[in-house]
Amino acid sequence: MSAPLNLDSKRAREARLGARIGATGYRLLIVFAGLSLATAVTLCVLGMKKLGFPLASLGLALILPALWWKRHLSVLPVHGDTFTDHLSYEALSLLQPSTEQTPHGIWLALQHHWHSNFLANHLLLNKQLIVEALRADSNDLDEALQIAADLATKSGSRNIEPIHLSAGLLMQSQSIGRQLVNMKSQPQDIEEVALWLAHDLAENHKAKQNFGGIGRDWAFGYTPLLDRMGQNISQAIMKHNARFGSATDSEGVRAVEAVFNNRASAVALIGPDGIGKSTTVYALARRLIEGNTGEALAYHQVVSINATDVTSNARAPRDLEDIMIRITNEASYAGHILLFFDDAQLFFSDGAGAFDASHILLSIIQSRAVPIILALSPSDFQRLRGQNPSLASLLTPVILQEPSEATVMRSLEDSAVTFENRSKVLIAYEALHEAYRLSGRYEQDEAYPGKAIKLLEQSVSHANSSVVSALSVQQAVEQTRGIKVSSAAPQEADALLHLEDMIHQRMINQSHAVSVVANALRRARAGVTNPRRPIGSFLFLGPTGVGKTELAKAIAATYFGAESSMIRLDMSEYQQPDDVQRLLSAGENDASLLLAVRRQPFSVVLLDEIEKAHPNVLNLLLQMLDEGQLTDSSGRAASFKDCVIIATSNAGSQTIRERVSQGASLDSFAGELSDQLITSGQFKPELLNRFDEMVLFRPLTVDELAQVVKLMLQEVNVTLTNQNISVELTDAAIASIVEQGNDPRLGARPMRRALQRAVEDTIAQKILRGETRPGDHVVLDAPDLPT
Amino acid sequence: MQVAHSIKGRLRSIQSSFSVNQLSRTLFAPWRKIISYPGASFQDKVRAWGDNLFSRIIGFVIRISVLIAAAIAIVLTVVLTVIEIVLWPLLPLAVPVLLIAGFFI
Repeated sequence: MSAPLNLDSKRAREARLGARIGATGYRLLIVFAGLSLATAVTLCVLGMKKLGFPLASLGLALILPALWWKRHLSVLPVHGDTFTDHLSYEALSLLQPSTEQTPHGIWLALQHHWHSNFLANHLLLNKQLIVEALRADSNDLDEALQIAADLATKSGSRNIEPIHLSAGLLMQSQSIGRQLVNMKSQPQDIEEVALWLAHDLAENHKAKQNFGGIGRDWAFGYTPLLDRMGQNISQAIMKHNARFGSATDSEGVRAVEAVFNNRASAVALIGPDGIGKSTTVYALARRLIEGNTGEALAYHQVVSINATDVTSNARAPRDLEDIMIRITNEASYAGHILLFFDDAQLFFSDGAGAFDASHILLSIIQSRAVPIILALSPSDFQRLRGQNPSLASLLTPVILQEPSEATVMRSLEDSAVTFENRSKVLIAYEALHEAYRLSGRYEQDEAYPGKAIKLLEQSVSHANSSVVSALSVQQAVEQTRGIKVSSAAPQEADALLHLEDMIHQRMINQSHAVSVVANALRRARAGVTNPRRPIGSFLFLGPTGVGKTELAKAIAATYFGAESSMIRLDMSEYQQPDDVQRLLSAGENDASLLLAVRRQPFSVVLLDEIEKAHPNVLNLLLQMLDEGQLTDSSGRAASFKDCVIIATSNAGSQTIRERVSQGASLDSFAGELSDQLITSGQFKPELLNRFDEMVLFRPLTVDELAQVVKLMLQEVNVTLTNQNISVELTDAAIASIVEQGNDPRLGARPMRRALQRAVEDTIAQKILRGETRPGDHVVLDAPDLPT
Repeated sequence: MQVAHSIKGRLRSIQSSFSVNQLSRTLFAPWRKIISYPGASFQDKVRAWGDNLFSRIIGFVIRISVLIAAAIAIVLTVVLTVIEIVLWPLLPLAVPVLLIAGFFI
């Protein structure tokens, strides 16, 4: 079987010779040739032609290989149809005739090239492991070469570069694929990373633009005021030769161009925060100064006008109008300015850093004197329509749609290169995936791609050994949002496995309820729950004082870190139809559930006495339990996907008490109780079905009440620690307190009062009488307690 | 084919660097839009006309100078490219010719 690569061909030899000469060799040849020729000319002028001519001959002899290298060897244009004919100069120069023609051998030749490093590093693949995996794999080089050729075609390259070849070798290896899966990545990521680099290379290879040449602006006017008051985006782009990657050809840019080419003079660029309104304008600015657009806007410069800059330049309020008129007159007069009003709502409203310039803008747009782009959110555009319909009707709306995942990933790739250069870190491809996933889940107020880019940028500060991984992104989310998203550390995993024990340190019995909730929390933390719903939703049913609220507090303390991580709503306060608005208010009052959840997205939401809420409120809860989110009155969504929802109710208490006293187990009558609650009209079936679990709490026995007293005594002792006093109760004393506090209707609730009266009052009197001093250990028996 | 492509690229680069298209289109436009607006009186109108004519003349002179420079650059490029095409195969011969010439001069 013949070798798939002809590494002894003329082209291959030329590539290796080219590599040997290299850019350094080329420069040296040019320098010595230049010196020789210059000296030769000088000698000839001085009449020393005998020396001058041979020196000129030497100069030409040096210049010939330099020109050969520059025009042929370093380029090696594709001619021929074999795979070797399509290999780029860089790829071919790395391969020697002695290179073993197997995936392993080819990788060894390529592994030190920066393309291969880029691929391995961004996939977090250990290079030694790659070598071993390729050595162990079956030797199917043909498949790898075919993949490389396909990748080159896919990336729009005529040549097969080292990145295509390296990716082909890794993609055909099953061991590497398995390795990636073990790292929670995907084998397809190899192709994605290869295309990322290929796109970046293509962008960098684009010829430097001269942006219209020296005479571009000579027919246009000067703009001294705009230079001072606005930010000339086009000048900044020209200065830094800024590129906007995939945004340059985005649908938004094309749409805005089309609108202006159709003789419109004002565009409202509409989209939520983060969708890329500014980026669209920047990319448009680049296209305009490149002249890659219709006649209407060719070589126009985009100047951004900021409301804050305008107000800060006005000495008095009446100056604002004057400045705006002068700015627009100047832009109109200059003839090559496109005005961009970012955060345009600030020009339509009064307030800090804002002013109402709508009447000025109306007259400018009506006169069609200067092209204008206004960036607005959908709600701001709606508001403008209501407030100033005549102005809104003059604007041609261009609505930016949220991009596809592939487009967002391209934007993330573009941004990652910037962040890597700026912060000197390496951003692994898995971090890009994670930024996309987690920003989608946790950032409700912004749109893609902005929210994913912002999260990726925040993750840079969590880099470990200068590598930004998926974990860095998770840590950034955890820090900024207070949510646990990374995998449980061994210590935490151990705590999760023993969650019941931890809860029982502060709760007596109710083992079934505790176990149901603990299982839900473990499922959530292990990532095996539906990510679009809350972590868990439970309906706690049982008589008063059996530990329903205490269990909710225990979950908040053990799983969410503190008892304060609990949002408690007394649903008896939501009995009117209008209370729905109060619950959904956009944060104007503290009773807003949505505001509380935005502040504490990782918490227990306790809905006390749910049966007392108005049916409209309960309907709202259906959405919360189903979709894991609610939308407030201003249209902003609040996520409940990281909350445990617990609703409590005393409904069915009598049945529970009766059946338990008859010796029935809780499981045996749960279904029957559910039917009873539905037929009695206390709960609608759709609400009951939405909860993950209906958890029944049984009344506490006398023994359990005694344990409750012991737990409460521990709290008393914690309080007395400051006085260096400790209290102990004899069994008789505990029995006495239980007897005093026992009320089957109220469960453990009266126990705190009984303990307070019996122990705290007694100790207080002893301290005041001087019978108990700091350092004492007091043992109280039944006779010591007040009757 | 490749040579034609190369010449085309160089000419396009000169055309763009010297803004040939824009300057040709605006050859007689006032320089940087510096113009006077005519007043009500005849005298003002004449003065404005004179000012604007001056601005246009300035604009024309600068633009035509650049266009001439562009034309020279284009001619030079074409000539040099042709010379390069003709002489390129002969260049290797120049090495021994110059060396030998050095002995006989």
